[in-house]
Amino acid sequence: MSKDFEQQLREALRPVDPEEGFELRVMARIARERSRARTKVTRWVSVALAASVVFAAFLGAHQWQLRREQEGLEARKQLIEALRLTGEKLDIAYQAVNREAPEPADDGSGA
Amino acid sequence: MNTLLKQSILALCGMLSLCAGALAADGQLKLPEFGGLSDKASEVVTITLDPALLGLAARFLDPAKPEDAAVREAIAGIKGIYVRKYVFDTDFVYPQADVESVRKQLSAPGWQRLVEVRSRKEQQKVDIYLLVEQERANGLAIIASQPREFTIVNIVGSIDMKKLHELEGQFGIPKLELEQKK
Repeated sequence: MSKDFEQQLREALRPVDPEEGFELRVMARIARERSRARTKVTRWVSVALAASVVFAAFLGAHQWQLRREQEGLEARKQLIEALRLTGEKLDIAYQAVNREAPEPADDGSGA
Repeated sequence: MNTLLKQSILALCGMLSLCAGALAADGQLKLPEFGGLSDKASEVVTITLDPALLGLAARFLDPAKPEDAAVREAIAGIKGIYVRKYVFDTDFVYPQADVESVRKQLSAPGWQRLVEVRSRKEQQKVDIYLLVEQERANGLAIIASQPREFTIVNIVGSIDMKKLHELEGQFGIPKLELEQKK
């Protein structure tokens, strides 16, 4: 019994030559796995890169919008200040002209 | 060769003077740099609103608000607004020649002096000029000087004085009392 078992074991564990092309198939599979892993990483990097580009573009547009708004508000402020100064100087001139202008003649009605 | 060079220089000068003439014709004055005055002045106002900035400013005027709408209408034909104001703590710190150089530009054809105010008491000079082309006001210049301050206002473009007048009393723009003496 024990001898039979030993015999079977030896039979089962006897060195067997691999089939022809086994090494090539193993190497090809390793290469395929590596390539698949690389593709997966590349895909994730691409997605991350695209997301970063979209985010950067969004951020840039937002910043540009903010800056534009600040410039617009500043321009509005300057416009109002310019009109205020213009009005102020026109006022001085008109007041002086009014001072110089002769009073309308009194028609003597006493009204 | 020398003659050719001279002719070229003369032609260039001619072209430059034509350009300068065109610049004056569109109502924009050549304002001096007033370099170094900012350090001496206690208050400086420098406003440069070119057509692009004016357009931008107009976009920030709310047409729903009557006062903003009035400003929009007043600036509709205006191409540029340039203001320089300097206030000093002591008398005549500023180079009066610079201010006079602006006054001189207003002797160019088209500019008409509308008002000249000379106050001996306050040593104040105010001159208002209009650039009149084809019976339209295409430019406005105000030069106001006192011992301790001067202001130059140059508005370029088609100016509707009536609409400008309608802005009085808004945004701190003083109300002119022209009608009171009627």
